[in-house]
Amino acid sequence: MATEGGGEVSDGLLLCYCTMLTVGDLRSACRDGRWPLPDKEPTGKLCTGCLGDLLYLLRAFEREAPA
Amino acid sequence: MSSSPSALLSVTYVEPGYRHVVELVHQRDPDARRRLRSLDLAVYEPEGKLLAEVSIDPAEETLDLAAVTAGPAAGRPRVMAVFDARYDERIFPYRPHHYGFLHREGSSSAPLYYAVGAVLGGVPQRVDNSRINNFETYVFAGGPFAERHAVLLGNLARFAPALAQVFAYYGPERVVRDVSLPPKAHTEVTLEPEHGGRRLERVEIKSLFRMATYVTGRRATSGDLVLFDHLFTFFK
Repeated sequence: MATEGGGEVSDGLLLCYCTMLTVGDLRSACRDGRWPLPDKEPTGKLCTGCLGDLLYLLRAFEREAPA
Repeated sequence: MSSSPSALLSVTYVEPGYRHVVELVHQRDPDARRRLRSLDLAVYEPEGKLLAEVSIDPAEETLDLAAVTAGPAAGRPRVMAVFDARYDERIFPYRPHHYGFLHREGSSSAPLYYAVGAVLGGVPQRVDNSRINNFETYVFAGGPFAERHAVLLGNLARFAPALAQVFAYYGPERVVRDVSLPPKAHTEVTLEPEHGGRRLERVEIKSLFRMATYVTGRRATSGDLVLFDHLFTFFK
């Protein structure tokens, strides 16, 4: 998956600064049908700063996930 | 207390011609100086293009932000400076902040001290500060004291564009501006000092997710900043 700017999305990027969820955590959870992870449920709901990226990536990873 | 580091993404804006210093950790115990674990600084132009990335020595207590950003800020009216910190939660007993000192070089205007806007992280649940914070307001108590006011808006998202609304209130009347920002872009929204014969009393910002917001006030003649402050969440 690439960003709108054309760069690859790195799994190591920290997505949620409150729950310490990384892009890789979210990607693997979506791929395995495990989202939301039990300890990451508040992602996007606390400081809300990552909510836009969380929704963006959820849509992208759901498209990538096996049917 | 957890031994794993906490994370904080903070934002300020840098304009050339100002002395601009940031206190990275406000020390509270002279016998136990606290340090961040790491700090990275990124600088963005208004359209969101990355201009510079700098790894800051976390042993430093203060950062001369004007000096560090002098190169990328040159020739630009403003750049957005993003601080990406990792820290042991014990160094911030409440919602963490860096603190800024701002003064236009050679100006007789008073220097400004402000809390650098914490946009992502800061463990709001640990410090019981988990109220909705993507609706923000600023009340000009007693009326605005600067001649020109504006809000600065930045989108810290990496992938998602941001849509925000800026509401300026003049007594019973309000003026609404819609703002759209690509990832890492920022802009200044000017607030008219009067509308319908009433002075500017309050400004609000609403968006889907928290943005990097400040309210500014400037002298009409010199343009000196005499107000530079983050907005406040609606719900206390």
